[in-house]
Amino acid sequence: MKRIFLVITTILLVFTSCKKEEEIIEGCTDTGSVNYNTNATNDNGSCKYNLSLNFTHTINGNLLETNQMIYSNAASQNYSVQTLRYLLSDIKLHSENGTSTLLEEVHYITISDPTTFTLDIQDLNSPNYTGLSFTMGLDSLKNVTNNYLNESFFPSFSWPDFMGGGYHYMQLEGDYTTAFQGYATHTGGTGGIDFSFTKNFPISLNIANANTTVIINMEINNWYSNPNIITLTTDGIMNNANKQSLLKANGITDVFSLFYHIN
Amino acid sequence: MRKQALLLLCSVLFFACKKDLAPIRGCTDNTAVNYNAYAIVDDGSCNFFSTTPFTIETPYGFPEMSIPSNNPMTVEGVSLGEKLFKDPILSRDNTQACINCHQQNFSFSDPNQYSTGIDNIQGIRNASALINIGWNTSYNWDGSSLTLEEQAFEPVSNPIEMHNDWNVVESTLNSHADYPTLFKEAFNIDYIDSNYVVMAIAQFERTLISANSKFDKYLRGETQLTASELGGYAIFNSEKGDCFHCHGSQMFMDNLFHNNGLDLEPFTDLGLGKITNNASDNAKFKTPTLRNTEFSAPYMHDGRFSTLEEVVEHYNSGGEYSLTVDPLMKKLGVGLQLTNQEKQDLVAFLKTLTDSDFITEK
Repeated sequence: MKRIFLVITTILLVFTSCKKEEEIIEGCTDTGSVNYNTNATNDNGSCKYNLSLNFTHTINGNLLETNQMIYSNAASQNYSVQTLRYLLSDIKLHSENGTSTLLEEVHYITISDPTTFTLDIQDLNSPNYTGLSFTMGLDSLKNVTNNYLNESFFPSFSWPDFMGGGYHYMQLEGDYTTAFQGYATHTGGTGGIDFSFTKNFPISLNIANANTTVIINMEINNWYSNPNIITLTTDGIMNNANKQSLLKANGITDVFSLFYHIN
Repeated sequence: MRKQALLLLCSVLFFACKKDLAPIRGCTDNTAVNYNAYAIVDDGSCNFFSTTPFTIETPYGFPEMSIPSNNPMTVEGVSLGEKLFKDPILSRDNTQACINCHQQNFSFSDPNQYSTGIDNIQGIRNASALINIGWNTSYNWDGSSLTLEEQAFEPVSNPIEMHNDWNVVESTLNSHADYPTLFKEAFNIDYIDSNYVVMAIAQFERTLISANSKFDKYLRGETQLTASELGGYAIFNSEKGDCFHCHGSQMFMDNLFHNNGLDLEPFTDLGLGKITNNASDNAKFKTPTLRNTEFSAPYMHDGRFSTLEEVVEHYNSGGEYSLTVDPLMKKLGVGLQLTNQEKQDLVAFLKTLTDSDFITEK
């Protein structure tokens, strides 16, 4: 009797201890995620990752200094920058399996407010991405008068209905040649033509294990240089479809570049 | 030891009994603002404070008005704010109310170039027209206040305006026959604190909405514009006239600051630059809305122009160069070079923004 009892106890002990080792705790098991669960034994796909986007602005590779008549464009004009405001839309990350994640529908950047230079993206579902894309300006579906009444770029970015309606894509302003001459490189859709364009940057991005910052740089001088040399004038260009098309072509070529660093 | 234990037991019993004998009295209705969860016996003290929400209707083409969460619009608050706005009680010698320098007949502005305070002292700027200011993101010509509540503090204590002391205002209002009741109804307070005074005034100011001009009726298809008005509308919205960059959208303002080439340096009034301490902001002033501009003369931050024709002529002849002049004043010294007809058309269009209801209502 005593022996049987001993055997049963032993079996019970072994059984329960085994059961403990097999107990499954669901959670995120990736140590590089923001919600890594040290107790988790089984990854349930809940891991979240953060990413920071930074917007920088350079002229000939140097960070933009406003209100300084120190720059020279491809048309050999001296110029300064007093105002730079623009919209990027449909900012997306792309994954290897062909899916994409929308990070921001419309982001407004103004040189006078450095808080607009950063976009913090939280709780992404994957650590690996193969590309990032965005649209400079607003495509024709979005670029509709009164579509963004409650955004901070309203009302200053309104584009009159007389010229097609919607919003400015960019307001780049300053003086050229002499301080008495102002230029206003205002881009946008005009006369029913959509001049927005999408840039798609292939990028091998792993955002686990670190704070990753992706930098999107605008090289301002390149708006005026490649392939079309654009001369600054005091004339408005909002209704000038030819100028808008030249600026779009330059914009697509090499105005934007993308790189990233891991802290 | 045993004695002590007995004593302890007695005292415990005593307190327990006492509690039972004296039930807590108070307001037992949990819908009242002074509901007491511990009260067992209702003593009739329940206070059922309630206000009626005041709804701001968003005009066509306007964003939703951003209203501070700690100062929701109520019928009681707006009505109290209007009374305060029109009551000279806020000034030191009881002679001047907000409305003295923000007269309804003049789009809630002052027809004089400079307003005169209670001590007969004049400032250096023209009183701003109070039109659709609930949509502004900063206040005063130099943007020195970020909310209407903050702005309302300033004229009361400014020595060249109402020259009062807020402590004096508080004691005057608290000993007044009507105000304590009105503040109680609007904010459920027993002591009138200056913060509630500016909250009420701000609520009233948010109701000063103009969106029923001839131009609005034209957009709604209720009326037609004349050929001259339509011509002006087109110039306004072209880069030839280039009015729309600062006075764009249905709001006719951009909520930003500009130097529109009024003066050469050195500037006598630094405007935004004095607030930000940034030289690149010198001589920049807040864009006013052009709605009801016909009634808000004189024009510019210092009221230097008395007619719309003079304003148009300023832009037409080009403006003065200075370091901070806006790049959108693209043809400095040359100007827009509009014909006389175009200038008349532009003024005709500006007058379609006149909303007579706004200056006569209430």
